[in-house]
Amino acid sequence: MNGEIVAFCCEHSAYVAADAAGKQGLHCPENLRIIRVPCAGRVDIIHILKAVEEGAVAVLVLGCEDGLCQHLTGNVRAKERVKYSETLLKEIGIDGRRVAMFNLAANAPHKFIQAINEMNERMKESGEEK
Amino acid sequence: MQIKMGIFLCDCGGSLKNIDFPKISGNLENLEDVAFVDISHNLCLEEGTRAITSRVLTENVNRVVIAACSPEFCERNFAGLLEKLRLNPNLLSLANIREQCSWAHEGDVTGKALELIMMAADRAQLLQPVETKEIAVNNEVLVVGGGFCGMKSSLELSQLGIRTTLIERESTLGGKLRELEGFYSSQRETMIKAVEKEENIEILTSTEVAGVEGKIGDFSVRIRKGKKETLRSFGAIVFATGYKTEVAAGDFPLKPGVNIISQERLAQLLQAPTPEAKPDTVGFIFDLSDENSRFPTLATLNSALTVKQRWGSEIYVFCKNVKVDSEGAEKLYCEAREQGVVFLKFDEKPTISADDGRVKIEAKDVLLGEDVTLTCNLVVAEEKFLPSEGTKGLSSLLKIRTDPQGFYQEENVHLYPVSSERKGVFFIGNCRGDLGLGRVLTDIFSVVAKIRELLSPGVVAEVDRVKVDPQKCVACLTCIRVCPHNAVQLVQIDSEKVAADISQLACDRCGICAAICPAKAIKFEGYSDEQILAQIKAIGAS
Repeated sequence: MNGEIVAFCCEHSAYVAADAAGKQGLHCPENLRIIRVPCAGRVDIIHILKAVEEGAVAVLVLGCEDGLCQHLTGNVRAKERVKYSETLLKEIGIDGRRVAMFNLAANAPHKFIQAINEMNERMKESGEEK
Repeated sequence: MQIKMGIFLCDCGGSLKNIDFPKISGNLENLEDVAFVDISHNLCLEEGTRAITSRVLTENVNRVVIAACSPEFCERNFAGLLEKLRLNPNLLSLANIREQCSWAHEGDVTGKALELIMMAADRAQLLQPVETKEIAVNNEVLVVGGGFCGMKSSLELSQLGIRTTLIERESTLGGKLRELEGFYSSQRETMIKAVEKEENIEILTSTEVAGVEGKIGDFSVRIRKGKKETLRSFGAIVFATGYKTEVAAGDFPLKPGVNIISQERLAQLLQAPTPEAKPDTVGFIFDLSDENSRFPTLATLNSALTVKQRWGSEIYVFCKNVKVDSEGAEKLYCEAREQGVVFLKFDEKPTISADDGRVKIEAKDVLLGEDVTLTCNLVVAEEKFLPSEGTKGLSSLLKIRTDPQGFYQEENVHLYPVSSERKGVFFIGNCRGDLGLGRVLTDIFSVVAKIRELLSPGVVAEVDRVKVDPQKCVACLTCIRVCPHNAVQLVQIDSEKVAADISQLACDRCGICAAICPAKAIKFEGYSDEQILAQIKAIGAS
């Protein structure tokens, strides 16, 4: 990898939002790579850390809004895992802000683009972006 | 088995101009395991279907990668097509090169498209077939609660030939039908008779649910009648336990008694064969504490009309606003107005006092802008709409959540309002909140349709989509604790070993257990660790 953003997208919300963004012609950074998951709760710490190890500049987990997870607790668990991976990264001297969790609904493509852009901005600030 | 991959690229009728398809095709052709790369203009149309069919059959491929529009649109079609071609639908891997590539960026995106296809191809390498199998289910249904909802759904189910057991805590059927006027009173006798006559319905009165074990298609329910407990098994359980109403003591300044009565008492008075005395003026009050909800409004309108017809009294309804958002409420309201029921709308709480054996209500009507003082013979008090008594006990028994008001919590308010988080357990009617008659009926029909779908003979389910490896499982119970659908159980593998087992009917394929399992014993085919990591590795590799 060379400075890509890896986004794990819940197929009930974020994946649909990403599609809608494309449909509406909302342009997102080209370094975005989406991996579709059935629920944000499927994303494990190993997936996040491996993506960082492989060279992703940022890793995003995108799930449903709080309280609206189709599987009740998937998005909450995902958030906990993202937080934990953050601390793990910090421990080994990597900027923990490279991983993040965002909640959005299927009908919020602008929020999807915002999340990706915010991540790009963050990385620019810390000088991680290549 | 040697992997032989067929790759189809779709340029969406030639509209994806910022992707150079021949270049991608050239890059992919030389890869290992790739049998062919086809460029098509419209894979979703008949010509595309023909192209896929002939190529897959002649080349005899065992993995198919399709780069086209979003899987949200095309996944089901292509999976269905593969099934027709005798290829397992799970051997399909899709790359979204339209919405998330061509349309999402300006300028040439050939490189990104190629990468997305490589990701899909690397995932396809690791895909395993997922077989489907017929699963035997018990198609008897348990309906808990013998009120309107319970009886109506039992009748609907029995008419579809589904054997139904209707249990009721009280000694007679009817529930709240006994106290409601209007439409419900017309149903009172006919419905109970219809239920009693129906052969497919077994009625158990003075009976309660004592325990529920098992999963959809095979629930074992302990039923308690008196002190005797019996174990019965059912395929699905429907809760129609209803609600209760209560005169909220804090809201009402005077204690209910002879002149101030509840809706329930009013119904008793109305149903008495010879009324003691017909009151001249009757007042109804609601909205005292908060903006009241649909149900009390409907009950008040129905009772007011019935009082008018039976007793011919003068009727005054004091409220903040008449909420007519439920089905039929507007009609009832208009009818009441025509019959001469007077609606007075207050902003500040009216004062209610006793006046020589009668009840005096003083209120400022916001429309008239004047103070109104009325002396009524009878006042029907506002009632609060609450979950019925057994709700709390049953919800903890079933491990199902309740909402802040104490009603059963739906799995997802927007998507599946009648389902619980436990597959095969449903709620209908007012046990899940304050619904009007129209929505109650919708609930009943949707549950009946759902049950019919879930329990029809020969239900086909995927086996081993989410699978526990019993050798790796250490029976730590983590998956059982986290599963949002109660789909995991502990089973005895052999004399020494116990391991978790996932019911394929109850499982909703979220993958939470696969992510959380500390022993990595659970594999979610299609989204397994290897398959996700393969996609990560493929990023930037080309």
